[in-house]
Amino acid sequence: MRSLENIPIGSTARVADVAGEDTTSLRLLEMGLTPGVDVTVVGTAPLGDPLELELRGYRLSIRRNEASRVAIRT
Amino acid sequence: MSSAEALDSRHQSTTAADRASGHLTVVLLGNPNTGKSTLFSALAGIPTRIGNYPGVTVEEKLGRFTHRGQGIELIDLPGTYSLVAKSPDEQVVVDVLQGKMKGVTHPDCVVVVADATNLPRNLYLVSQALAVGLPVVVALTLGDVADSKGIAVDHAALSQELGCPVINVVAPRRLGIGRLADTLVEASDWQPPTPPVRLTSCLAAADPARPAAAAEAIARYAWIDEVVNRVVTRQTDHRRSTSDRIDSLLTHRFWGTLVFVATMLAIFSSIFWLAAPLMDLISAGVDALAGGADALLPEGTLKSLVIDGVIAGVGGVVVFLPQIAILFFFVAILEGCGYLSRAAFLMDRLLVGVGLSGKSFIPLLSSFACAIPGIMAARTIENRRDRLLTILVAPLMSCSARLPVYLLLCGAFVPNVAVGVSWLRLPAVVLAAMYAIGVVVAAAVAFVLSRTVFRGPPQPFVMELPGWRWPQPAVVLERVREAAVSFLKNAGTLIMAVSIVVWALGSYPQLELPADEAADAAVVKGEALRQSFLGRAGHFIEPVVKPLGWDWRLGCAAVASFPAREVVLGTLGVIYNLGDVDPGEEEGASLLIRQLRAATWDGSDRKVFTLPVALSIMVFFALCAQCASTLVVIGKETGSWVWPLVTFGYMTGLAWLGAFVTYQAGTALGW
Repeated sequence: MRSLENIPIGSTARVADVAGEDTTSLRLLEMGLTPGVDVTVVGTAPLGDPLELELRGYRLSIRRNEASRVAIRT
Repeated sequence: MSSAEALDSRHQSTTAADRASGHLTVVLLGNPNTGKSTLFSALAGIPTRIGNYPGVTVEEKLGRFTHRGQGIELIDLPGTYSLVAKSPDEQVVVDVLQGKMKGVTHPDCVVVVADATNLPRNLYLVSQALAVGLPVVVALTLGDVADSKGIAVDHAALSQELGCPVINVVAPRRLGIGRLADTLVEASDWQPPTPPVRLTSCLAAADPARPAAAAEAIARYAWIDEVVNRVVTRQTDHRRSTSDRIDSLLTHRFWGTLVFVATMLAIFSSIFWLAAPLMDLISAGVDALAGGADALLPEGTLKSLVIDGVIAGVGGVVVFLPQIAILFFFVAILEGCGYLSRAAFLMDRLLVGVGLSGKSFIPLLSSFACAIPGIMAARTIENRRDRLLTILVAPLMSCSARLPVYLLLCGAFVPNVAVGVSWLRLPAVVLAAMYAIGVVVAAAVAFVLSRTVFRGPPQPFVMELPGWRWPQPAVVLERVREAAVSFLKNAGTLIMAVSIVVWALGSYPQLELPADEAADAAVVKGEALRQSFLGRAGHFIEPVVKPLGWDWRLGCAAVASFPAREVVLGTLGVIYNLGDVDPGEEEGASLLIRQLRAATWDGSDRKVFTLPVALSIMVFFALCAQCASTLVVIGKETGSWVWPLVTFGYMTGLAWLGAFVTYQAGTALGW
């Protein structure tokens, strides 16, 4: 399944699930990255990591490492 | 265990006792970047107490105010996204809410600060707060910004949904503050809210296949989506907001980097140049004070203690106050307008490679001016591991106190020859190399520590990039005041104590001179230092410093520079019988240089100072932890005496090793 890490910049995707059962996954869910929510990848930092996301009306930055846990619907 | 269960708590007897004494305890809870600090200032003004909660380095901020004859104590909790604790900060929040925090009264009421521009995510914490078992009031902030973005929140409907009062406040303009205070006075008599029926049913329907906490998070957002649909209206006109436009420029790969570099250069140079006149002013004040003490006090031990111990020691540190104030002024502005998290975003990749994070950048950059403000600026790093690692390597950045040492030795012992091109001189290359050594070693130390002592699960980087806004002057000034006060407190207590101890070690046992010997003052002073405990320590450690190419006097000067690195110049002057040397004075400096060039090993005519020796001294000072104030501040900021000891140990070890390799290699290469 595709993850948030490898969708093109500027595109929007719908979250399918967040993998993992640790505190990082919980934090991602708590920040609103829940199944069904629409997320836009707004851009990346100059060196390609981290990513800048827009979801639920605000901007969130996560590293590619964390983004790879977020599966998206295709 | 669900957070609702975790937060189920009973009021303790303190509440009743407190209620009898007549004052209410109210806590401010909220996500970061919601304008919580601004609301705190608007309600309570200047905090009556700032410190750390016992046993943890989480800031405790208290304020008091009176409304309609009712005394209210306001506790500002650290910004948090959730009440399922994942960090010491969040644990403190949970403990305070449950009345389990030692020395903190069980709260009577919770104010949840929620950002109207970002309601869905803010409602997450609100939904958890409703289950804490305390009366809840929601303060809806940034309504003016929400208006301009075309977001309208029906606060009456929201209040219905939540089952608790929702009050619109625009704290900078004091709108709604009176109403909020009115509500607080009443709310303390209320029963805790009954969590909304829909929330309870969403939670009951949580997916049993998932871990409880994850299922609960998803269920809460299901409820939030319902509520937001009913209370929030967005204008369909989806034009890009100003905030979005600024954002796309400032996080742009090229322009964003350019603005970032320019901003950092401006801040960095202002810590140096803007601070310089103020620092001169404080220096002059310290000198005047020393002069006054000199005139007032009779000759003797007390005079020496006051002037050489207390005034020189504390005064030498207090001069850094302008740098601290200026740095915190800029950090507060960057934080207030939302740039601090963009800076961390831009630099993260670079620092992740060595085990740090983007948030380490500003503390490390500031440390080039002085490690003390740098270490204090590490307060902006929430993650404990990243913060500790940043604090541990910050003193490796070459601070302004190392510069006089480098300048003197480069000028005196590094041949002024061209390197490749005619305008590039060897002393300048060596000087640049000293700065580079600090950076490279810091990167290596961070890399190694993050993979050994601090090894653990990778630290997630999940950071909000808040909307662009104007910084609030009250909050900016409060940050500067806070940093200045905590720095001066350290200078007046621990740093003073360390200065006195070092003074005593350099002054005792006192030199006994034959009465008839009318010796030169400089010779007496040099002899006195050589005979003191400090001088004996220099002799004692001679076998240790010999492999560095140093004689015992150099070892002694290095030991004596424990209060601050730049002291080494004065000490060298004293120990080589010069009397006091002011490195700033051309005359004195050249005298010191001549004296150092002439110095020979005891009992031979072999010169002490050669190029390898000068380089080995510089490398030693680039890497050593000879700065008592930095160690004191590390102790304060980490809340433990282990970390200053670790810092001192590893830096001294590296300094010795670096100096050893430099001297041995330089000698072998026949420099």
